[in-house]
Amino acid sequence: MSATSECVEGGSRAPPAAKRHKSVRKNSRRIFSAYQDPQHSFSDDGGKEDEGVDSNDPEEMFQNIQFQKEIIANIRTRPWPMKRKLNVLKHAREIVLKYEGQLTRTRGYQTAGADLLKKLYRLLNNIVVIFIPWEVRIKKIESHFGSGVASYFIFLRWLFGINIVLTIMTGAFVVLPELLAGAPFGTTRSKTIPKEHLASAQDLDTIWSLGGYLQYSVLFYGYYGRVRKIGGAGYRLPLAYFLVGMAVFAYSFIILLRKMAKNSRLSLASASDENFTFCWRVFCAWDYLIGNPEAAECKGAAIVNNIREAIVEEQEKKKDTSLAVLISLRILANILVLLSLAGSIYIIYFVVDRSQKLEQEKAELTLWEKNEVSVVVSLITMIAPSAFELVAQLEMYHPRTSLRFQLARVLVLYLGNLYSLIIALLDKVNSMNSAHQGSSANWSDPISLLVSTSQSETHSLSTRMSKISAFEHHNITVATMTTALNVTSNNRGHSGSIYNQTAPFEKNARSQQDQCWETYVGQEMLKLSIIDMIFTVASILLIDFIRGLVVRYLSDCCCWDLESKFPEYGEFKIAENVLHLIYNQGMIWMGAFFSPCLPAFNVLKLIGLMYLRSWAVLTCNVPHQQVFRASRSNNFYLTMLLFMLFLCMLPTIFAIVKYRPSQHCGPFSGQEKIYDIISETVAADFPVWFSKVMSYITSPVVVLPALLLLFMLIYYLQAIARSLKFTNNQLRMQLQTERTEDKKKVYQLAAARLQAPEAASETKPDQQESDLTSKEASIHSPSPRRNGSITNFQSPVLRGNSIHTITQSASRTKLTRGNVSGSVRSPVTILPKRRAEHIPNRIRPLTGAPSDTCRSKSCLHMACNSPAHCSHCIHSDPLYRKTLCSLHPVEASAIIAAKSYNERRGHTTRYMIVNEHKPRAKLLRSATRIPCHYLLEEPAEIMKLYPHNMRRYAAHSSHYQPHSYRPHTSQHLIKEGEEGNKNTKKNMLVKARRPQSLSDLRQQAQFYIGDHVESHRTRHRVREDDEKDSGKGETDWRDFDIPSPSQASVRAVDSPFGQSSHHVQSPSRRSPARSRHLGSHLKLNLRANVETPLTESDSASVASSSDQQNSSTDQYIQVIHNKERYLSSDASQEKLANRKSKTKADLNLESNDLICSNV
Amino acid sequence: MGNKQTTFTEEQLEAYQVTGVTRQLAPHLVPLDYTNNPDIKVPATLIVTMPELKENPFRDRIVETFSEDGQGNMSFTDFVDMFSALCEAAPRELKTIYAFKIYDFNRDSFICKEDLKKTLNKLTKGELTPEEVTLVCDKAVEEADLDGDGKLSFADFENMISKAPDFLR
Repeated sequence: MSATSECVEGGSRAPPAAKRHKSVRKNSRRIFSAYQDPQHSFSDDGGKEDEGVDSNDPEEMFQNIQFQKEIIANIRTRPWPMKRKLNVLKHAREIVLKYEGQLTRTRGYQTAGADLLKKLYRLLNNIVVIFIPWEVRIKKIESHFGSGVASYFIFLRWLFGINIVLTIMTGAFVVLPELLAGAPFGTTRSKTIPKEHLASAQDLDTIWSLGGYLQYSVLFYGYYGRVRKIGGAGYRLPLAYFLVGMAVFAYSFIILLRKMAKNSRLSLASASDENFTFCWRVFCAWDYLIGNPEAAECKGAAIVNNIREAIVEEQEKKKDTSLAVLISLRILANILVLLSLAGSIYIIYFVVDRSQKLEQEKAELTLWEKNEVSVVVSLITMIAPSAFELVAQLEMYHPRTSLRFQLARVLVLYLGNLYSLIIALLDKVNSMNSAHQGSSANWSDPISLLVSTSQSETHSLSTRMSKISAFEHHNITVATMTTALNVTSNNRGHSGSIYNQTAPFEKNARSQQDQCWETYVGQEMLKLSIIDMIFTVASILLIDFIRGLVVRYLSDCCCWDLESKFPEYGEFKIAENVLHLIYNQGMIWMGAFFSPCLPAFNVLKLIGLMYLRSWAVLTCNVPHQQVFRASRSNNFYLTMLLFMLFLCMLPTIFAIVKYRPSQHCGPFSGQEKIYDIISETVAADFPVWFSKVMSYITSPVVVLPALLLLFMLIYYLQAIARSLKFTNNQLRMQLQTERTEDKKKVYQLAAARLQAPEAASETKPDQQESDLTSKEASIHSPSPRRNGSITNFQSPVLRGNSIHTITQSASRTKLTRGNVSGSVRSPVTILPKRRAEHIPNRIRPLTGAPSDTCRSKSCLHMACNSPAHCSHCIHSDPLYRKTLCSLHPVEASAIIAAKSYNERRGHTTRYMIVNEHKPRAKLLRSATRIPCHYLLEEPAEIMKLYPHNMRRYAAHSSHYQPHSYRPHTSQHLIKEGEEGNKNTKKNMLVKARRPQSLSDLRQQAQFYIGDHVESHRTRHRVREDDEKDSGKGETDWRDFDIPSPSQASVRAVDSPFGQSSHHVQSPSRRSPARSRHLGSHLKLNLRANVETPLTESDSASVASSSDQQNSSTDQYIQVIHNKERYLSSDASQEKLANRKSKTKADLNLESNDLICSNV
Repeated sequence: MGNKQTTFTEEQLEAYQVTGVTRQLAPHLVPLDYTNNPDIKVPATLIVTMPELKENPFRDRIVETFSEDGQGNMSFTDFVDMFSALCEAAPRELKTIYAFKIYDFNRDSFICKEDLKKTLNKLTKGELTPEEVTLVCDKAVEEADLDGDGKLSFADFENMISKAPDFLR
């Protein structure tokens, strides 16, 4: 694995939640085992598990299982190689299986059942995917043209879903009951075709204009019976009709708003005002779904354009020229747009009005006069958008913004046209109404002859007639609006026929049945929809397909390049197409009340559109140059759709509320208003008290306060939202300032560090001699830092190396500036003493450190508080490791990066991975950041580290292996048990510590949790060494495994428990700077991989080293109280000094180091 | 894998599915029997020609990032790994992590300006002039670099990318 991966991982590990703390604590040991290198340690783990579990109570076991389950659940989110995932998964499963059964039978069965369920669920999921309509098709398009184009189809599919629901609603509650239980065709007046029309009822012309049989069918409002209850069960069809009509709107609103809310939740992040123009353009530009060479080329060109634009924008921003001019230009552009909108609306209104007049005045209309309205409207719809486009160039907006403007304007244009038509229509209806009231007597005669109706009915009739005519015209015009000019030619025929029909109506008012204005509205809407569909198909075939064919096959015989110059291939204009979809849906909403089958028709239409479009896109389109990337979380489409829905609902509602329903057709015939059906039902079919209650509820006494309450609620919620936003901003600011302050602190620390030579670390000695020297050096360095550097220099081994390292480090430092530099510097001083080989390793970690700090924003924080926070690379050689620890506490974070480098480096691998918990804790407090689970993290890191170590170890220190193996088996078990204990202790300690962190500033509450990453072999090898050298009296106070732990070790273990305040010795302690930072509480998890080849020849040095290693390996946490630690340190110093004559007396510090180094 | 004849043990399948991968992914030269985890590596040159990758300007980097040896030669697990990260169902955090790795050309766990330059050149196929590239790099670093170290750490990157409207839905 690469270094970066390790580095990255820290950041990614955040998800594990706090809830896991408990279980984690208890089960950390097992976790470790689970995360160990799979290849190697599975059998070992098993053994460990057994022991550990045996000693644990069921509760712990249960928690362990829980934890393992969490691992299983979250494994997907980990950036590990698959192999590791698999192994971890397998292992976790094994553990769960193994111990779950032990706990209780039922639990075992439960899990078995859960597994089964999970499998079933997965199967079901897979099956469901098959049934998602067009999933494969959309994916294919996505893979060719990217997510932008696919978003159109996804939107289409979503609309399709909505329409399905609408269809079901209307079909199940209105159409089917009417068909099944309603009066059959021909039985009532409203369901029979008038005789004079019967002859032509099956003519294509009539059918085409939705007359004849179609007009008297369930397609339209007029067919539905007015009987209150139909069928044996007494189904209230009129009521159902009304309710379903309203439910269509309600459902659409709800589903739309829900989708929008969901999307906005998804895109919460983008709500921030931060803007990374260039970054996004570089990092997010490529659409990873593109798989088609042409699309890729297009995309590449688009990206280049984009970046160029951004550059130009940036430069212009710098120039900052003529802001006033720009603003004035934009104002001008908007004025122009508004003018053209107003003009188009006026023209439509004017034309409609004129056509109405002409109709009344003339018996025969010329061709132009007949089609005047539709031609004008379609002209406007064609010309205006391109005019808007021209105008948009004036504004010099960002392409995306301008595209949105363009879309919004076109939408407004559509709506404006629609509305102007409707308003003109209503206006006409009103005027006709008043006009006919005067002459109603004249009109009533023929009508009364035909039908015995009251006077009032004749009134309504006349108005109806007028409405009908108006609707005819207007609806036709609406239809033409959507269609382009060529469609208008199609319309001419129909419109002509319709006009022909209307003329006799007005003159003769032949039959009332034809005067069903609702039916006409429905007819026109359906017609509009059909014509729109035809037009769409035609345009796809003509503009895209034919053009594509021509361009492809005629480009050779043309004098210019057809493919790149003039005709080109048709572009798939996502935005325009989406707009079209929205417009189409708007028509459906508008007409659904009057034509219950409209949604069903729309479903068919959308299906056809889906296939046609996807085919066209795949065969003859190229993606739009200016890609309008609407990801799925983009609410723009939905906003437009919502807008459309609202505006389309208005006319329908208006018509329902304002106008009387037709008297002789439809479910509401005979009522004064359509909504009377509700009050009627309440009065007739509900108990009296209910109607009373209803009357109270609908009285102003209740409605007004309710409204008021609603308003207050809205205001309150808005206020809350605002305040949340505010706090959000505040928190962000706080984070930012903290970050900067931390940086400053880090700088200061770094400066202090530099002055105080931390050079304690020495080159890692391959050989014993080198070890000794390095040891000495390291020893020196910890206690007196300043002196340490000198001593280091004295160390004979590596001067040349030191120089080497210095240079490298210098370059590094240059690269990393700021906080990073501080951390880097310290290593620099250290480096000179090390071997040349190590240098690279060292440097890497250092460099890595800054990244870590950056990564977890809190990291900087930590660094500021205590330089010691950072943990470091641990070197397998104890001495070396120590030195590193002491020297580089700050850089601890860098370890991860270092690790990777180490891998490459080879045999001397030292890693210290320190998780800085403190910053996180702080973050938690501030609630800004997500708390990361340390424990969880640890295992993960361990996992990563492990394989590397193993490899290295194998490669470099193969000759040592035999050693390691021998002790391995014998000691392993013991160690395991102890480890388990330690882990638990550790966990407890950690737990205890956390709360204190703030309060105890003095105490160094720093926990070094050493996770032994190293392979068992190394450990065992160390053991051997230990045992060999143990006679020398070197007691590992940390090493619990040793049957007789030294006093120090006992202390270390006991102290944490006895006292709430735990001081863990950290390498950083030595540093003078550290005293300042006592307040910092860091739980450092040190993961040291000790793979260093230990030379058996190392006598004293080995012993010391072995102690360290043992301790590190065996113990996960070493907690030492401060005082005790000091004592111990002193004692250890003396001991060490005495015993290791070779080593200098400085060993006292070593103890600290040892503590830190958990191998 | 892609061809349905490839056999897996039940356990393997199970595990792969848990890790969010279906076995529909198609490699070319893979033995039909995967029950005993053969250690076979597909060379990078072959992987790169997959339809899913062949148009991707970063295909080499992607393959390198996901392969265990860093050279782009992928074992089956690497392969599965890659597509589990690239697939639609992968969590966003994971994608972020791998994206960072992919863009980090020199693997120093930072995206420095050199990395950015390489990214840009791959993205635009060298159509931008050096001055433009430099400008864009400077700007990008300036925008996203929170701690002012002149390069993008993962934290910077994550912060930036999480706010991108286009970042994979």
